[in-house]
Amino acid sequence: MSHVLAIAGRELRSIFATPVAYVLIAVYMLFAGFVFFASLGMFLVQLEQIQAMGMMQLLERWNLQDIVIAQSFSTFAIFLAFVVPLLAMRAFAEERATGSIELLLTSPVSSTEIVLGKYLAIAALLLLVTVLTGLYPLLLFAYGDPELWQTLSGLQTLLLYALSLAALCCFISALTRSQIVAGLVGVALALILLLIPFAAESSQSETMRGVLRWLGSSTHYEPGLTGEVRSEDLAYFGLVILASLSMARAAVDSLRWR
Amino acid sequence: MIKADALTKRYGGLTAIRGVSFEIAKGEVVGFLGPNGAGKTTTMRILTGYLPPSEGSAVVGGFDLARDPSAAKRVTGYLPETPPLYPEMRVCDYVRYVATLHDVPRAQRGAKVERAIHACGLDAVADRVIRTLSKGFRQRVGLAQAIVHEPAVLILDEPTSGLDPIQIAEIRELIRRLATEEGRTVILSTHILAEVEAICQRVLLIAYGQLRVDARLDALREQGSLEQVFVREVQAAASRDADAAAATAAAAAVVEAEP
Repeated sequence: MSHVLAIAGRELRSIFATPVAYVLIAVYMLFAGFVFFASLGMFLVQLEQIQAMGMMQLLERWNLQDIVIAQSFSTFAIFLAFVVPLLAMRAFAEERATGSIELLLTSPVSSTEIVLGKYLAIAALLLLVTVLTGLYPLLLFAYGDPELWQTLSGLQTLLLYALSLAALCCFISALTRSQIVAGLVGVALALILLLIPFAAESSQSETMRGVLRWLGSSTHYEPGLTGEVRSEDLAYFGLVILASLSMARAAVDSLRWR
Repeated sequence: MIKADALTKRYGGLTAIRGVSFEIAKGEVVGFLGPNGAGKTTTMRILTGYLPPSEGSAVVGGFDLARDPSAAKRVTGYLPETPPLYPEMRVCDYVRYVATLHDVPRAQRGAKVERAIHACGLDAVADRVIRTLSKGFRQRVGLAQAIVHEPAVLILDEPTSGLDPIQIAEIRELIRRLATEEGRTVILSTHILAEVEAICQRVLLIAYGQLRVDARLDALREQGSLEQVFVREVQAAASRDADAAAATAAAAAVVEAEP
C-alpha cells in the first residue's frame, strides 16, 4: 500500500507541476459555467412564457432540477469525454518516453501497485473536478429549491463516468510512448462509447440493438443524472474500470518482456 | 554476489547476447567493457530485473531473478544510462520517493535520504528542482537514488558518459568511494578504458553478444595495455561473427536452393 500511495502522491504533484491540468480544468469549468448559466437563462425565459400562456400542467413539470441541472450535467458528460483522456494520457506514456519507467520496473514494486498508484492520482484529480462542478448547482440552492439527492446522484454519476474513462485511458497510455497518441485515441474511444447507442437505433436485429445500447456509456449515465440510480449502471462502470485496469496491468507487465 | 548463467537474450530475430556466464564475488568492482551495441546494457537490464532473459538464469545477492525478483531488486541499486529522473521534483523529494519504492522503513527514510544526498555531494542542491541542475549534478542525483537503500550490489550503466573531464573525475571518485565503503559489489559499464584502470579490479569484455574476456586487471596488463586487449578481442569477435554470418548465409542459400 505504501508503494501505491507513494506513486499516487508523486503522480499528483507532477500533474500539478505543469500547467496542463490547470488549463484543462479551467477550460472545462469555463465551458461548464457557460452551459449552466445559458440553460438557466433559457429556463427563466421559458418559465415566463409558460406562465403567460397559462399552461399549468406544463408548469408543474418545469422545474430547476430536470431542466437546468440534469440537462447541463448531460452536456458536462460530453465535455468529460474530451477532458478526462487529456488528463489521463500522460500516466504511462510520459514515463515511457522519458525512460523513468525503468525506475519503477527495477524497483521491488508490482505492476498492480504501479497501475493502482497512477489510477489513484487521476481519481483524486477527478474527484476535485466533480466537487468543482458541484459549485454550479450549489448556487441554485441559494436561490431556488432543487432536489439535493438528485443533484448528488448526478454528480456521483458524472464522477463514475469520468472514473471509467480514466481507467480506459490509463490502459491506452500504457500502450504507447506518445502522450498525444494516447490522448487522441482516448478521446476517440470516449466519443465512440457516447455515440454507440445512436448507432443502435438503426440496427435491424433486436439483440444487436440491445447489445449496442448496453455498450454505450450514455445509456448508463443518463438515468443517474436525473437521480435514478440503477444497479446495472453501477455494474457497467465498475466492469469498465476493473477490465481497463486489468488490461493496464497486463500492458505494464508486457513492458517487462520487451 | 552476482551469478549469470548462460544468459541469452533475443529481440525477435536479433540475438543481443549469447550464453553470457560470469560470477562476481562480494566486494569486487568489475568494469564491463565492449563496443556500442555489444550487449552491455542488455546484460545489465537482465541483472536488474528489467528484462527477463530468453534463456539462462541470473542470481543477485542470493536471490534468483526469475523466482524472487522483488528480493533481488531490493538489494540492487541501478543507475541506467539515462538517469530515471523526474525533472519537476526536488532532489530530496525524489530520493525519498525512490527510498519508499525500495521499502526503506519509514523511520529510517529521512536519515538514509540525507546520507545518500550527502554521500553524492548534493547537500547544497537538495532543495533544488532537478530540472534546474547541470548534467553532472543530475548524474549525482542518479547515483544518490541508486544507493539510498544501501544496496549490496550497485549496477551502473555508463555513469560518466556525456560529462566534462572535471565531472568525470568527480563521479569516478564518488564511485570509488561508494564501492570501497561497506564492501559493495559494483558492475559498471563504460567505453573509457582509463576509467576501468582507475576504479576496477576486474574486467569483463563483451563483443557481439559474447563474453570475450573475464580476467583480473593485473593479469590482463601482462598481455599488453587494456586498449590493445580491447581492440584485439573485439576484432577477433568481429571476424568470428562475420564467419558465423557467412556460414549462416551459406546455409540459408543451400536451403533456398533446395526445391
